[in-house]
Amino acid sequence: MSWLSQASAAAGRAAVRVVPDARRDWAEAVWAEAHEVPAGWRRLAWRAGGLGLVAKEAQMVRRIGIALLFAVAAGAAAWGAWPGSPVSHGAAVQGGIIITLTLLVGLPLLTRSLLGPPDSRAARWLRAGFYAAVLATMPAQAAIGLFVGAVPRSGIDRHIFDVVQGPGVPGSSSGGPDWGGEIGILFLTACYVAVVLALTARRTPVAPATLAIGAATGLVLGVVMYAVAPLGLNVKYPYRPWLHGSAADTVGTLAWILLFGAPLIAGAIAGRRCYVPDDPGEAGVARAWQGFAAGLVSGGVGALFVTVLGSGSVALLVKSAWVRDWLYRGHHVTASAVYGRELFASQNVTAYFFLLVAFPFIGLVLGLTGAGIANVNGSSRAGSGATDAPCPAGLGRGDVRPTLEN
Amino acid sequence: MGSRTEFSPQTLSVLAALCGQPSAWQHGYALARQTGLKSGTLYPILIRLADRGLVEACWEEEPVPGRPRRHLYRLTADGLASATTALAEADLAASEARRAASPRRGRNVAAPAVP
Repeated sequence: MSWLSQASAAAGRAAVRVVPDARRDWAEAVWAEAHEVPAGWRRLAWRAGGLGLVAKEAQMVRRIGIALLFAVAAGAAAWGAWPGSPVSHGAAVQGGIIITLTLLVGLPLLTRSLLGPPDSRAARWLRAGFYAAVLATMPAQAAIGLFVGAVPRSGIDRHIFDVVQGPGVPGSSSGGPDWGGEIGILFLTACYVAVVLALTARRTPVAPATLAIGAATGLVLGVVMYAVAPLGLNVKYPYRPWLHGSAADTVGTLAWILLFGAPLIAGAIAGRRCYVPDDPGEAGVARAWQGFAAGLVSGGVGALFVTVLGSGSVALLVKSAWVRDWLYRGHHVTASAVYGRELFASQNVTAYFFLLVAFPFIGLVLGLTGAGIANVNGSSRAGSGATDAPCPAGLGRGDVRPTLEN
Repeated sequence: MGSRTEFSPQTLSVLAALCGQPSAWQHGYALARQTGLKSGTLYPILIRLADRGLVEACWEEEPVPGRPRRHLYRLTADGLASATTALAEADLAASEARRAASPRRGRNVAAPAVP
């Protein structure tokens, strides 16, 4: 019995650490009180109740559910992306998968003590959406890499391959990028993971509304960009199955407007909502933070959205006959012509990586600009004796989280 | 009326225990003994009451040799007012239920069919 009691006490002491700070006193109280309870089964029952309290307060069921969901999704993504047949860059592809999953699991654990967990619904949804996007991209990129790296043995396809990709060893298959390419992709992934974790962490002074505004404008940008470039990014010869004639020009123009307008508007709205009375300096810094974050999220979400949908579309194009038929409905194209288009699309998918780098930079610059405009407007209103407009929907000073919140 | 839906019977028992000595700080095991509740039930109730500002909690300031410091609880002024009202309403509801039950039983028992 004594070993059982000691084990339960040790389990309790360890378990208390997973309870959020605000609730930890209560969990510790149960363990402190256990000394009052007569030894034996009654004390054991008391501690069992304490463990139940810890599980409830630490939201263990939700945590375990999320962990299981992630494990299943990560397993499915790895299984879908894992190179099946022997390919020349198989080790690089496998390494890329393992390192990507390690980044997704390890970075949140490493940064949790420094930055804190996400503490708002917007932050949690943004993280979940980002993780889903990364996991969804893995098998899509693998399918494209396998297709684009498979050199036809002979015939017209071999000639098309040579024209599009350059000469290759007939019958060989690379399966994906080499280590150089993988390291570039992994570096970009690591940057994205780090930025998303930082922006959504509790101790970062980014308001939940800022994340929501940035994500919403980014989704609009991403949808329009996908309509413009659904099968890879080829500026010279774009293929848009659902846009023809003037509609293509209109949506293309809208995409350009949104590329610069979405983060600018997001930054201005996020800055405008940030309300810090009586201190113009502090208000300016706080608005700049919100604008920076809103623009960055807007650009990042837009780029990631079009990359996920575009990569997925091209992967389906090369894997599924019905997608091919749907995309080229009404076209009388030969098998070789279809192969050529698939090869072009697969090659053009790599250009999405340019968007993944460029959009966030454009976003953060324009988000800051938007916040600056909001700040000037706010200052001029304050200077003219008018008070700042009240923050909508329960947002006020609390909307700007202190940097060193515990 | 509000207390009938606002507080569960277990919560009322905790409030009653705390009301017994409103100014005194009480520890968890003492409350558990008074109410008969297990730790897994008692502490969530105390947490909810503390969240609503009805109970205040603190750690014992001075450590006592031979045992860990205790986490102590007592009703706040609002808590005392709410608890008094809720317990009074619960008493009233219980007595009403008793009154309603006894004439019915009486009628059933004391109204035999007259031939």
